[in-house]
Amino acid sequence: MTRIPGPRVDWACAFAVFLFVGLPVSVQAQAISYRGFVELKSVLFPQDVPNDTQNVVAETLARGEAFIRPAPWVLVAAGVDLRFNTHDQVGGTWRPDIGGRRALRPPVSVRRLSATMHRGPVTVDVGRQFIRWGKTDIVSPTDRFAPRDLLNVLDGEFLAVNGGRALVALGSETIDVVWVPYFTPSRTPLLNQRWTVVPPSIADRFVDTGASIPGGSQTGLRWGHTGSGYEYSVCFFRGFNHLPNVDTGFRLEGSALSLVPGGLAGTSIDIIRTYPSLTMVGGDGAVPTRWFTLKGEVGYFTSSASGTEEYVQYVVQLERQSGEWLFVGGYAGDFVTAKGYSLSFAPDRGSARALVARASYTIDANRSAALETAVRQDGRGMYAKGEYSQAHGPHWRATMSASLLRGEPDDFLGQYRLNSHLAAALRYSF
Amino acid sequence: MNEPIGARVRPGWGRGASGTRVGALVLAGLLVRAAYPGAVDNARQIVEEAQRRAEATSQRYEGLLEVLDAKGRISAKRWTLERLGSHGRSRMVLRFTAPAEVKGVALLVVNHPDRASDQWMWTPAIERDRRIALQDRSTRFFGTDFSFEDLEERDVGQYEYSMLGDEAVDGVLCWKIASVPTRRKSSQYTRAVIWIRQDNYTLARIENYRKDEVVRRLTYSDVRNVQGIWTARRLEMSDLGRGSRTRMTLEKLQYNLPMKDEDFTLPSLRRP
Repeated sequence: MTRIPGPRVDWACAFAVFLFVGLPVSVQAQAISYRGFVELKSVLFPQDVPNDTQNVVAETLARGEAFIRPAPWVLVAAGVDLRFNTHDQVGGTWRPDIGGRRALRPPVSVRRLSATMHRGPVTVDVGRQFIRWGKTDIVSPTDRFAPRDLLNVLDGEFLAVNGGRALVALGSETIDVVWVPYFTPSRTPLLNQRWTVVPPSIADRFVDTGASIPGGSQTGLRWGHTGSGYEYSVCFFRGFNHLPNVDTGFRLEGSALSLVPGGLAGTSIDIIRTYPSLTMVGGDGAVPTRWFTLKGEVGYFTSSASGTEEYVQYVVQLERQSGEWLFVGGYAGDFVTAKGYSLSFAPDRGSARALVARASYTIDANRSAALETAVRQDGRGMYAKGEYSQAHGPHWRATMSASLLRGEPDDFLGQYRLNSHLAAALRYSF
Repeated sequence: MNEPIGARVRPGWGRGASGTRVGALVLAGLLVRAAYPGAVDNARQIVEEAQRRAEATSQRYEGLLEVLDAKGRISAKRWTLERLGSHGRSRMVLRFTAPAEVKGVALLVVNHPDRASDQWMWTPAIERDRRIALQDRSTRFFGTDFSFEDLEERDVGQYEYSMLGDEAVDGVLCWKIASVPTRRKSSQYTRAVIWIRQDNYTLARIENYRKDEVVRRLTYSDVRNVQGIWTARRLEMSDLGRGSRTRMTLEKLQYNLPMKDEDFTLPSLRRP
C-alpha cells in the first residue's frame, strides 16, 4: 500500500492553539457559538453482490463544530468528526486526520480548522475549510475544490480542503481567489465492497495498491456578478481532478500465470489511483422568473495527463416553489472534445446525460418528505429515492429512506442495480 | 418625538412614491412612533403615517417563533435578525440559532422598491449559498403559519385603502381600514382589513382574505416604546384553515445601530 503523506497533526494543533489563544484579545470580547450532532444510521441492502455479502451496515457519526470571534474582524472555526462503522469503512490510527487523504474514513478527523479575517470588502479564509463553487445541484461542474467521501456513491459527503481563499465583494461584483497547496482527493469506494463493481469470476483478484497523490498546488479564480434579477459568474481552475483515474497492473503470484480459459489463477490485479491534472474554464448563472428559477452551469475540462479525456459538461436546472412543494428538475449533459483511454472513477460524469428531478414537501414545522430520481437519457440506468423525515422536540430527528437502482451492467447507475437499499437514521443535534 | 400628526401629514403625502412601504411587517418589525392622535380620516394617510413613524436606519433583535399546531403541540425556532436601510430598500440577514438542527442556517433578503425581493439561503450542511426559488409567496416560512408574503415589506403604492370606521381591539380604539392590492400587485390575498391604533399608530390586527373568507389573522400585542419607536413585541399569526398558529416574540430589540453594508452581502452569509 502506498504511504500517503499527510500534514503533521502537530502543526495543525499548534495552528489551532494560535488561533484560539494567540490572538491578543480579551476573553470578554470573544463570541463563541457551537453546533453539532450525533447520528446513528443503519443501511439494509437486501441483495448480495459478488465482492460484498454484508447486508446491514451500521455507522455512527459524532460531529462538533465551534466558532469563536476573538475580535470583530476575525472568526476562528474548528470542527471534529468521530466515526464508527460496522463494515470496515472506518479505520487507521486514532491520531486526528487533517489531510483527508486516507482511503478509509478516519475514526477521528479534523473537519475544519480555519480563520476567517474580514476587513472592508475583503474576506480571507486560511486553513482547512470548505470551498463551494457553482449554482446547480444535480451536478456542479465548476465545484472543483469540493472533494467528497464516496465510499457510498449515492450519499457522498463533502470534504474540506487545506488552503487559502480571498474574497473581494465590491458592490454587485465578487472576486474569489483560491490557492490550495495541499491536494485532497475524493474518497473512492473500497474494492471489497459493493460500490465497486467487479466481475464475479475475478472479484478476489483485485489489490488496492493505494494512490499516487500529486504534489503541486491548485489555484482558482472566480468572478461573480449579481445583477437586477439575475446573477452569474465565470471561473478558472488549474490543479487536479479530485476523482481518480484507475490504473491497473497484473502481477504474478507464486510460480506462473495459469492460462486456463476464463481464469486468472495465480495473478493479482493491482489497482492504483492517480489524479490527473485538470484545467477548467466555466461559468454559472441563475435567473429567477415569475414561473420558475432557471439555473445553469457549464465547464470545459482539459488535462495534460496522457490518456485523460477532455470534455464539456453542462447542467440546466429549473426550480419552482408551489405552496409547500419545491420542485427541482433538470438535465446534465456532456460531450467529449478529446477522447481518452484511461479508466476513471467519475460519478459526476456518470450522472450526466440524465434527467434528474426532485420534489420535496414540507408537511409542517417538523415533518417533510422528498422524492428524487435520475434517469439516463438512453434508459439504461435509473435511480429513485424516497425520504421521510420527522423531528421530535428541539433535538431529535428521525429519517427513513428507500433507494432503488436499476439498469444495465454497463451503465454507471445500472451497474449498481444490486445496491438498492433502505436506510434509517436517528440524529441528536446540539 | 411626539408631535401632532398634522405637522407631518399633508394631503397627498407619499402618493405615488413606489419606494415607500407600509410597515405591516413581521421580520422587519412594526416600528411605529407615538403621536398625539389627530383628526385624520384619510386611510392612506394613516397607513403612510404609521410607516413614517416606524422608520429606523437599522434594527436588530432576537426572535422566537413558536408554532402551535391544531393539537396544541409546540415547536420553537430562534433567530437573530439585522436590518439595514429604509423600507423598500432594506437588506436583512436572518440567522437561526435554534433548534440545533437549523443552527447556522442564514437568510439574506435584499428588498427592492419596484420588484420582489432577492433571497439567498446559506445552509451549513452543504456549505453553500443558494438563491431561493420563490415563485409562490404563499409558501409557509419554514413550516410556520407565516407565509413569505406575510414577511415582505409592503409597498403603500401597491394597495388601495378605504376607511371602514373605528373599532376597538383589546380595549384600544383603532382605525379599521380595508386594503386591496392593485392590479399590478400579485398577492395570495384578495384583500385585507387592518386595524391601526389611534393612540400610537401601531398595528393591532390584520385579517387577510381570500375571496370572502378570512384565511390568516395576525394580532399584535405587548406594545412598548423602544428608543422612541412604539413597537409590538409579540405577534401571533393564526392559519384559520389549518387550525394552527405561530407566535413570534421579539427580544433585545434595538434600533438605529451602526451597521455596515458589507455585513449584508453573500460573502457575509457564511460568517456565523
